[in-house]
Amino acid sequence: MTSTATPLLEVRDLSRHFGGLRAVDQVSFAVQPGEIFGLIGPNGAGKTTLFNLISGVTSPSGGAVLWRGGAITGQAPHHLNRLGLARTFQNLRLFDGLSVLENLLVALQRRPRGSVVGGLLNSTSHQRAERQRLDTAWQLLEELGLSALAERQAGSLAYGDRRRLEMARALATGPALLLLDEPAAGLNPAEKEGLGGLIQELRERHQLSILIIEHHVPLLMRLCNRMAVLDFGVRIALGTPEQVRRDPKVIEAYLGSGTGSGNGDAPGGDPG
Amino acid sequence: MIDNGLLVQMLLGALLGLSVYLPLATGQLSLATPAFYAVGGTLAALLSTRWSALGATADGGFPLASLLLELVLGGLLAGGLALLVGRPVLRLRGIYLAIATIALVEIVRVAILNLPFTGGAIGIFSIPQPFTDASGYLVTALALLALAGWLCQRLEAMPLGRAMAAIRDDELAAGCMGIDTTRVKLIAFVLSAVVAGSSGALAAHFLNTWNARQGSFDVSVTLLAFVILGGSRTWLGPVLGGLVLTALPELLRPVGDVRLVLFGLVILLGPVLVPQGLITPALLERLGGWSWRGTLRTPSAPQSNPSEEPS
Repeated sequence: MTSTATPLLEVRDLSRHFGGLRAVDQVSFAVQPGEIFGLIGPNGAGKTTLFNLISGVTSPSGGAVLWRGGAITGQAPHHLNRLGLARTFQNLRLFDGLSVLENLLVALQRRPRGSVVGGLLNSTSHQRAERQRLDTAWQLLEELGLSALAERQAGSLAYGDRRRLEMARALATGPALLLLDEPAAGLNPAEKEGLGGLIQELRERHQLSILIIEHHVPLLMRLCNRMAVLDFGVRIALGTPEQVRRDPKVIEAYLGSGTGSGNGDAPGGDPG
Repeated sequence: MIDNGLLVQMLLGALLGLSVYLPLATGQLSLATPAFYAVGGTLAALLSTRWSALGATADGGFPLASLLLELVLGGLLAGGLALLVGRPVLRLRGIYLAIATIALVEIVRVAILNLPFTGGAIGIFSIPQPFTDASGYLVTALALLALAGWLCQRLEAMPLGRAMAAIRDDELAAGCMGIDTTRVKLIAFVLSAVVAGSSGALAAHFLNTWNARQGSFDVSVTLLAFVILGGSRTWLGPVLGGLVLTALPELLRPVGDVRLVLFGLVILLGPVLVPQGLITPALLERLGGWSWRGTLRTPSAPQSNPSEEPS
């Protein structure tokens, strides 16, 4: 246990300021291999900004991000993705003009890699690579229950299907760590119910670690090994769901201390 | 009404339409095509009139092999220039990229106008002719267009082409899916320049004279009209747009000066009546059920219906 102490992802004193606003303020935590790690906090707590910092979309004002012990702070998103870090987006950023299948083929373009010249000449190795990508894509569609929609334009899908396509597309890049940004948002109750099982299943089948932001707290309580709580950019709690649930700071952040405004979603509540 | 000369111009228009299409297919509105066209044309004009090793004869003849060499060199020089300016310029997006590329067109135009060896306002004339009539140019332009069309068609079935389409839809998401967006945008920009540079080299011989007016902002706008009218979702769109909009002013010549008004009306009404352009992927799929993208679609081991397996 102690010999394999290098976490998959470590965030050290990570900060991001927008003008005078400390959106993320010296946040630290680590995600161990195989772990499902939850990130909760009221709206505006800095969760998505933290995701953007980790995935390279936004560069940090200070602190460090480490991948398997090596610094990756401020690297470009495509570098980080190639290291094995894939994400979904809270506000859904699919390639709407492409078909469902093509969305996955885009993400699969380096599995396997091919040469431009080979592609132009339609070489046998290019054909083999395309075939391989296609097989993987269909496998993922099957896994996420999207195969009937393969030909449909991504922009035309129902909301729940688009959420699952986002997950499939992130998985297609072959990640070791999957960052899920509010995967339950906008889902109907039945879909929400199935989500926990789906995430567990994907984690086992693809040997993933998962870092998940979610407002649906009961889901996280069931799913996560550990979780961190953010409030106004600061990490106010870290631990197992049970520890976090009892933390007085967390209760205060969500319910207010009597003077402040509890602008958020209480643990156990379901803002949808 | 349409003679070989006009046909060559139409094909050149189609080629330049493709040159605008390639960055646009990557979501980049670049109007730099006339600059690269001018670079290729000027290079060909200079080489064929000044460099005797290419074999220009006293009566204005020119070996075909030398023309082909010029097409390659024109493409390479334009592509090299695109590689050089692309990195800083492609940091810009949307309208800012358009403005920067217009600036590039102006810089190249003014440079050609003022360089000591490009003939000033008059330009370079008596460019030697590899062919005795327009039909030779027609074949060459057709071959060039076929090559560019083949490139665009192959891209549809390749990771590079899919990466381009992904960037057009959502650049940020494409980056997060492992696509080196800077590199893909640069490749599209360079390919666009190569097509324009080669076209310019051919055009210089075809037109017999070459000057700075060949690559101006006006041309940028005309080329954009090709793509908007033809449709920017498939490469056939800009080809059709280039063919039609190059022919139209000539075909309308009998009606006199009103022709420019009519031409303007077509450009104005095109986006209103056919906002997607004349050719869309949906249209192509309806025509003969031709699968537009070259992508294989079925899994290799379908569970339910093995007869769908393509060979």
